[in-house]
Amino acid sequence: MKADNYNLRSKQTGSGWFRLLAILSLLCASFIVNAQERTVSGTVSDGETDETLPGVTVLVKGTSRGTITDMDGNYKIGIADGDILTFSFVGYETKDVTVGSQSVVNVGLRLSIEQLAEIVVVGYGEQEKGDVTGVVAEVKSDDFNKGAIVSPDNLIAGKVAGVQITPNSGEPGGQVSVRIRGGTSLTASSEPLYVIDGVPIDNSAHNPGGFSGGRNPLNFLNPNEIENITVLKDASAAAIYGARGANGVIIITTKRGKAGQEGKVTYDGYFSVAELANRIDMLNAEQFSSVIIAKHAENIDQMGTGNTDWYDEITRTAIGQNHSLSFTGGTETAGFRFSAGFQDLEGVVQNSETQKTSLGFNYNQSLLDDQLKINANIKSSFIKDQYDAGAIGGAIAFDPTQNIHDAGSRWGGYFEYAEDLAPDNPVSSADQVQDFGEYVRNIGKIDITYDMPFVDGLSATLSGGYDINLGERKRFLPSTLRSQSSDSGEVRIENIKRINPMVTFLLNYKKELPSINSSLNVTGGYEFQQFTSEYPSYRAYGLSTDVYGFYSGNIAEYSETYNSYESSRIISFFGRANYRFMDRYLLTLTVRRDGSSRFGPDNRWGVFPSAALGWRLLDESFMSSLKTVFSDLKVRVGYGITGSQEIGNYRYLATYTSSFPTAQYPFGDEYITTLRPNGYDQGIKWEQTASLNVGVDFGILKGRLSGSVEYYEKNTSDLLFEVSVPAGTNLTNRIITNIGEMQNRGIELALNSYIIDNNDLSWNVGFNISHNQNQIKVLDGNSDENFEGYLTGGISGGTGNNIQILSVGNQVNSFYVYRAITDENGNPLPDGVDHNGDGEINLADIYKDTNGDETVNSEDREIYGSPAPKFIMGLTSQTSYKGFDLSFTLRGNIGNKVYNNIASNNGFYNAMDGSGNWLQNVHASVLETNYVTPQYFSDYYVEDASFVRMDNITLGYNVPGLQKTNIRVYGTVQNAFVLTEYSGLDPEVGNGIDNNPYPKARTYVLGLSLGF
Amino acid sequence: MKKIFNILSVAAIVSLAACTDLDVPPKSIASGDVIFEDASTYESFLAKIYAGFALTGQQGPAGSGDISGIDEGASSYIRQYWQLQELPTDEAVIGWADGNLPDLNTMSWNDDNEFITAMYYRVFYNISLTNEFIRESSDANLDSRGFTDAEKEIIRQYRAEARFVRAMSYWHGLDLFGNIPFYTEEDAIGSDAPEQATPAEVFAYIESELIDIENELFDAATVPYGRASKAAVWALQAKLYLNAAVYTGSERNSDCIAACIKIINDGTFSLWPTYSENFGADNNISNEIIFAALFDGQNTRTYGGTTYLVSAAVGGTMDPTAYGIAGGWGGLRATSALVNLFPDETGSLDQRAIFYTSGQTKEITDIAEFTNGYAVPKFTNVTSTGARGSHENFPDTDFAFFRLADIYLMYAEAVVRGGSGGDVTTALGYVNQIRQRAYGTNAGDITAAQLTLDFILDERGRELYWEGHRRTDLIRFGEYSAAGVWPWKGGVQSGTTTSAHYDLYPLPSSELIANPKLKQNDQY
Repeated sequence: MKADNYNLRSKQTGSGWFRLLAILSLLCASFIVNAQERTVSGTVSDGETDETLPGVTVLVKGTSRGTITDMDGNYKIGIADGDILTFSFVGYETKDVTVGSQSVVNVGLRLSIEQLAEIVVVGYGEQEKGDVTGVVAEVKSDDFNKGAIVSPDNLIAGKVAGVQITPNSGEPGGQVSVRIRGGTSLTASSEPLYVIDGVPIDNSAHNPGGFSGGRNPLNFLNPNEIENITVLKDASAAAIYGARGANGVIIITTKRGKAGQEGKVTYDGYFSVAELANRIDMLNAEQFSSVIIAKHAENIDQMGTGNTDWYDEITRTAIGQNHSLSFTGGTETAGFRFSAGFQDLEGVVQNSETQKTSLGFNYNQSLLDDQLKINANIKSSFIKDQYDAGAIGGAIAFDPTQNIHDAGSRWGGYFEYAEDLAPDNPVSSADQVQDFGEYVRNIGKIDITYDMPFVDGLSATLSGGYDINLGERKRFLPSTLRSQSSDSGEVRIENIKRINPMVTFLLNYKKELPSINSSLNVTGGYEFQQFTSEYPSYRAYGLSTDVYGFYSGNIAEYSETYNSYESSRIISFFGRANYRFMDRYLLTLTVRRDGSSRFGPDNRWGVFPSAALGWRLLDESFMSSLKTVFSDLKVRVGYGITGSQEIGNYRYLATYTSSFPTAQYPFGDEYITTLRPNGYDQGIKWEQTASLNVGVDFGILKGRLSGSVEYYEKNTSDLLFEVSVPAGTNLTNRIITNIGEMQNRGIELALNSYIIDNNDLSWNVGFNISHNQNQIKVLDGNSDENFEGYLTGGISGGTGNNIQILSVGNQVNSFYVYRAITDENGNPLPDGVDHNGDGEINLADIYKDTNGDETVNSEDREIYGSPAPKFIMGLTSQTSYKGFDLSFTLRGNIGNKVYNNIASNNGFYNAMDGSGNWLQNVHASVLETNYVTPQYFSDYYVEDASFVRMDNITLGYNVPGLQKTNIRVYGTVQNAFVLTEYSGLDPEVGNGIDNNPYPKARTYVLGLSLGF
Repeated sequence: MKKIFNILSVAAIVSLAACTDLDVPPKSIASGDVIFEDASTYESFLAKIYAGFALTGQQGPAGSGDISGIDEGASSYIRQYWQLQELPTDEAVIGWADGNLPDLNTMSWNDDNEFITAMYYRVFYNISLTNEFIRESSDANLDSRGFTDAEKEIIRQYRAEARFVRAMSYWHGLDLFGNIPFYTEEDAIGSDAPEQATPAEVFAYIESELIDIENELFDAATVPYGRASKAAVWALQAKLYLNAAVYTGSERNSDCIAACIKIINDGTFSLWPTYSENFGADNNISNEIIFAALFDGQNTRTYGGTTYLVSAAVGGTMDPTAYGIAGGWGGLRATSALVNLFPDETGSLDQRAIFYTSGQTKEITDIAEFTNGYAVPKFTNVTSTGARGSHENFPDTDFAFFRLADIYLMYAEAVVRGGSGGDVTTALGYVNQIRQRAYGTNAGDITAAQLTLDFILDERGRELYWEGHRRTDLIRFGEYSAAGVWPWKGGVQSGTTTSAHYDLYPLPSSELIANPKLKQNDQY
């Protein structure tokens, strides 16, 4: 079964590859020239150094005729009299030369100034790219992933070495997990810090109890409004964010207006169609009945008479649209930008959707002869989400021989089983459950910068900002749902109110000191940020009628109300000094002192320093001979300490939690609300990550190929981990405390190459690959040789079963499984058979005795791979020819394993007859394994999920010949194909445990961009 | 303008730098420094201590769990106590493949077993809660917090009840694990790891605590249902003394008899006429029950407790609604050894034989198959009038730790074991009362000559099966590990004896790592 799948998919994808190659070769073929009258030749060199330049594009202006200079900078081209030659090359200014009657034209090109002074965003400021000593990767809007994208983190998937971006589900706008150079935490979050236009945001997803998971909190940001996304990867870059920098920082900068700019209107819109990219391999009705007849003959009478493909019934071809409008302009001293957006994407599962209306406004003004600058940003979105009812889970399990409807049914006319543990009819759930979220999120910030008089180079910036998130999650379950047989209808509403204000004050001093050949840039700052959230909610059930829907509160027999409140505060002082000596020795020092209310009075304040050195090697005189090879060569070394505090609030404090109404305890006839003292650790403090980074930036072939190589080592200590306390010494059995140590080591390579670059044709390719090795060094105070580690990674199936382990010396969340004995075909031996002939049927019949103690028990489970890939790769290509452009992003992971929980939880014959009077569908893997009882811990289900995915491929056309107006039409295919041997839905699974049945989509997008 | 701006910026710097307050108190949960000023806190805290037996967290049925490292439903005190007391014995097996659960059926567990671990932490969770309560309700604290004398009186009574719960948990810890760490309210939160005590020391402590609190508790006749009365103290004393030889090496049968007599003479308790109603949704009306953990379908919900006992016992061709639930979990069945204790499996002679046999085999060839072995729908969510409890998923059924029939049988056993203070005639009378209820006639009566230890062990099986007593009983009779055989004991279908070290459960490996002062029980 598995093998068939693979063949099928690789065939499909193979043709995708061919198509791509064909398109590329077509583009190249059209480059062949014709119509020439005479030949001109010459040499192209650097106008300053007189070095010859290979690879320069030479084009006859206004035609498609052209050539490229050879290794010695020579070219030869056929022309007609009066032709003009255009010489262009990356990093140099383009030059036009009228040939006249000359037969030899030698040209000197000038370095482009713009290229030298490229500015990148860093924490609390900007820096010239050449001066950066930390690991800072910037992705500009032009390079973003294309397609129907809801949340901004998806814009850079595959674009940055060492950054792994994994969607946790296929639903539109679903939560995403992002790991920069591997995770540094076990218990605390390993997600990076997000900073949007200078506002560090609370990016925790809101997953209220009683509801299925919420969506990605970054969804509120309109991707069209983003100017660039910058990833701070190493401690030197991230330590300026101190206690929140250990998992890296993602800085999102939005577009703004510029003074002196002409008014410009842009429109970008698309329509999208999404279809299922893959489906879960369950038995169809025919297979199902033959298995029932063979294996459960006593239950034949429980089969229905229908033939229903439940998966088809609740999935659909999903339609989407997006419209984004902006108006940018400026006066002599002010610039502004106004934007509005509307996005509506359906999910491929019925009744799942995300809809966003966004508004943005930027205004900047300079006053007092540029001494005073004011910049204000407001971004606001209204999001309406609809959540699927979990019907997809029912679609997996529901008996395919049953009909959808049952005329006599009291459950809204849908066929349902009488028993509570039986699966619910998925079509009934999809049709009847109403589950919505409505949120307004508003982020704003105003910066006032004043260049101090009297002290030249000194400026002060005062910023005030806020992040407000208000919303409501509501769900109505009518009494005609099978799951409501006991509660007879329920409405549950939870409000969310998050208000996070902040204030920043910065002093900046910039000074060129030519007398000592130095330049200095010092920043000092103070920041205050508060996070407050409230979640009042209520649940009402026992409805006398369904007609009131969400407004059934008044007619409910029972109702319960809840409230929760959380607040925390961070106060910080920080500073950074950039020092440049002789234009080639660079030093960056940063320090941040953070105070957090999450820790007790003795541990509130932490200091996070960093230092980095950069050496522009190429500028040394002894390197001059290498200038013919290198156009850039810089070595960097950085070391720093960052922290993580994502453990929730009040953990250091003795607190008491009262019980919900359903957890009261009777004293006589009275029910008493109980009060529980919670466990706590007074001494809890930050996790600290000390990291070292060594990197080289280089450019060769005159900048045609540039890139960087990095080596890093991150050692996390005081790792927050939930460990057992000596029984009786605390108010629970496990406490989160600072106990573990972990290491991440890795290398990264990023390459960017301008293969062809001239007026008509350009092609550039970016490639990155990274390798990260994670290892747990210490988990708890004691080392016991026999102690394997802490089980983790809860799975669906049974109760409290875990498939992963945290074990010293191994990767975080390594899989921990029995090794199945296989037959000659490689299939695992079926259970329930006395294979070894010892007269007993037990684990030894199907699993290996790995520790050689003559029995097979839980001690024979072994570590078997981990969900973390050994290599992450991304390949980006952008080609344009005349008005056409073609770009794609290929992404791949190598060496990551996934536990196919959908197969393990549904792939055994006993699953078919449930625990009562109903039948259940099973996963097709059962035909291969012949498992009768569940074998959750078999290594059979841990599969290699290495993959290569064509993330998006776009073909666009710019309509030519228009003045001041741009019109572009484009088509994109997202998730065009996946090459993988993984048998499940999709090889990208955040935690490596594949039990989310929401299918991934393949999306076709047709779009139009206008600018005038 | 420039000047104003300069002044403003300086002012801003000064005011911002002053903003360094990092005290952000919680609001929707209470912080400890305020909550004990309120007298109602003590009642709520005591309710939590009792709920430590019944519930698993603060949300019900699941959510905000008390202990971690295990599924919350499976972390239930009663669920795990029941599993450790019943699954290794001749009375029950469970078919689920959850983690190391199958090892409990076959007496082949090790110190990584998460269910044993959960029970261990549940025992000490209750002890921790109680110690905290006793510290907070100390006389000194009550004085300093300005309570009225009437309030102090009530809180002191709460304190005595909390000490009863602690004594119960220490007894469970002693019985299951033998060599356990020992600490009291003297050891504050976050203090050093406690020392290991000998079983004799723990025994002596429980004994002294029970004597100490006896007079402070309610009389059985007036106690609000669910709370501990003097009779609960006596019942625990009877258990402790009857098993004293196992814990300390010395018999205390006479003390057991004395405790039983106190309960019997109290006059509050009598055998409930219909045996099965002691395990139904309205078993709170039974005046046979001396101390129970309470459950309620609307207000006291859990996936452990009797939800587990009712639901896990239903599967196969059984109709769940006949037992007051919407669906069975299909896990628990009896071994044939339990069935064989009864004169017939239909219950037509001895009505205590509550077996569901249709579609089930008597013998078990595959433990994982629910239809192997008879099902035992002894606990139900059906009331004495045949109605369903208040919720179809969460039974109202309470779980009795002690009931009068057990006291009668303990009395008889202590007499037969040679204890003084009682007599065989009285003992025989008590046993025959139990049998008359079971048979509905005198047909099941026995003679004094038949009242042997072997008979009592079997009779305890017939009367008290699936109520969480069996392991303790078998150990007391020397029939648990190295002697005694029943299906699947030792991992073979026909059954085989096992090593005597299984009489005690291992201390969890995680506890040994956390507390290096502890020594593991022998042979683990």
